[in-house]
Amino acid sequence: MKRSHHAEKSTGKGDPQCFKGEAGPAKFKVGDRVRIKNLPDIFYTRCQVYTRGAEGTVAVVTHESPAPEDEAWDNTDKPEWFYIVRFKQKDLWSDYPSAYPNDSVQTEFSERWLEKA
Amino acid sequence: MADTKAKNPGAGASRQEPDPSPITLLEKIRSRGRAWEDLAVQYGVTNPDPPWKVSMFSTCEALAIRDCLETLDRRASEDDLSETLYRDIPQPERQLMALAHTMIRRGLVDEDELERRMRQVHERLTSA
Amino acid sequence: MAEKHKAAPMVDEVSDFEILEAAVRELAIEKGLFTADDHRRFTEFAHSIGPLPAARLVAKAWLDPKFKKLALEDGVKASLQVGIDWLNPTGFGTPSDYTDLRVLEDTAKVKHVVVCTLCSCYPRPILGHSPEWYRTPNYRRRLVRWPRQVLAEFGLQLPADVEIRVEDSNQKCRFMVLPMRPAGTDGWSEEQLASIVTRDCMIGVALPHPDRKQDDKRPIHPAVHPIQHDHGHDHAHGH
Repeated sequence: MKRSHHAEKSTGKGDPQCFKGEAGPAKFKVGDRVRIKNLPDIFYTRCQVYTRGAEGTVAVVTHESPAPEDEAWDNTDKPEWFYIVRFKQKDLWSDYPSAYPNDSVQTEFSERWLEKA
Repeated sequence: MADTKAKNPGAGASRQEPDPSPITLLEKIRSRGRAWEDLAVQYGVTNPDPPWKVSMFSTCEALAIRDCLETLDRRASEDDLSETLYRDIPQPERQLMALAHTMIRRGLVDEDELERRMRQVHERLTSA
Repeated sequence: MAEKHKAAPMVDEVSDFEILEAAVRELAIEKGLFTADDHRRFTEFAHSIGPLPAARLVAKAWLDPKFKKLALEDGVKASLQVGIDWLNPTGFGTPSDYTDLRVLEDTAKVKHVVVCTLCSCYPRPILGHSPEWYRTPNYRRRLVRWPRQVLAEFGLQLPADVEIRVEDSNQKCRFMVLPMRPAGTDGWSEEQLASIVTRDCMIGVALPHPDRKQDDKRPIHPAVHPIQHDHGHDHAHGH
C-alpha cells in the first residue's frame, strides 16, 4: 500500500502549507458579504448542509488547499483559497431565540462554494 | 433561510451507509466480553481507559494514512452503529465493536479469519 | 517505611475486547493494510500528546502581549515556543492531523467554542486527544444549533449580550480558544497560570478559574433532541 500522495508532499511542510502559492489570487477578502451556493452533493463534501444558501461575512482568508471534493479523489492539481465565513445564528435557524441577536457560527469554505451576496 | 427543519448540523459529507445488521462473531463478543468499567472496579484499577485503547486509535490512524478506511467515513459508520446496534455497550468497547464491524462489512477483514485469530490471541495471552 | 510497596494494580483477566483489538490489528498488519511500524509510530505519538503545551501557550499569551500577537497571527509559529512543531507532529505526515492552528481570542463581548459537526477534528498535537463527549453526535450536532443549551449543560451560562461564537471546524484549520485571564490571578507565574487552563477551557465549554485545576467529569448525555441519521438526506429535527 502506498501513502496517499499528499501525505508525502506535506511531510515536513505541513498540510495545507504545502499548497501555498498554488491557487492564484483570492476572490474574496475579509469583510466581504458572501452567500453559500446550494450546489448538489456529489460523492463527498465538507460543506455543511446547514449553511447552504445562507449569507455571511468573510472573517478570515485562511489558506490554499485542494477542495475536499477533489482531494477525496486524490486530485490535488487545483488548489483553491479557503475562507472562514461568519453567520448570524438567526440567519441560519429562523427559530433561533431573538434574546441572543449577537450569537454566531463560523465555518470554513473553499472558494467554489461562495458567491458575492 | 426559513426552512430550519431540513438542516441537520451533522449533515454535509455524503458517505456510504454501514450495514447495521448484527455480525455473529461480534454478537458472541458482546455476550461474553467484560467491559473495562467492570474490570477496573473489580480489580481496583484507577486507569479510566483499558490498555488497548491507544492501540485501537493507532489502528484507526494507520488505516486512514494507508487509504484503507478514511477517518470521516469510519466516524460516520461508528456514529450510526453507536446509536443503533452497539448503543448499550460502554466506551471505548463500543468504538472497537464499530471498528471491527465496519472492517468486516467493508471486506478489510473476514469474519471467520478474525474468529480464528482471536482464538490464537487468546491462547497466547492466557498460556503465559 | 511501615507499609510494603504494593505492585501496581492491574487487571488479571483478558477480556474478549482486548483479544478483539489485538486480532484486528494483527490481521490488518498481516494483510498489509498498514505496517507494524505505522502502528508503532502512531502509538508513540499518542502517548506523547496532551493539553499541557496549549495551556502553556495560553499562559504565555496572558503574560506577554508580543507573544499573544504572534499566537493570534500565526498559531503554528507560536506553538514552537511551547515545544510543538505542527509541521512535523508525528515525525511523518498524517491525513487526519492538518496543520493550520488558529487561536481564537475571547473578549468581554465574544466567547468562542469549538466543535466539528462533520467528524471530530481537533488540534491534537497541542491539545492531546479529544474527550469522549467532544466526539459524541450529541455535542457535535447540537452545539451549532442550540449553543446556549449545550453550554448550560456544561455549567456555563453567559449573559445575553455576550456573542457566543461557535467555530465549526470542518476543513484543515484546527482551533483552540484563548480564554480571558480570570480575576484573582495577579502576580501569578506562567506555570501557575498554565495550571488552571484546562482542556475544556481551550475547547471553550468552560472558563478558567483560580481554584480549578481539573475539568469536571462530563457525563455523556443521551441526545436531548433525538438524532436522526443524516447520510446525505435531510431529516426533521424534533425541537
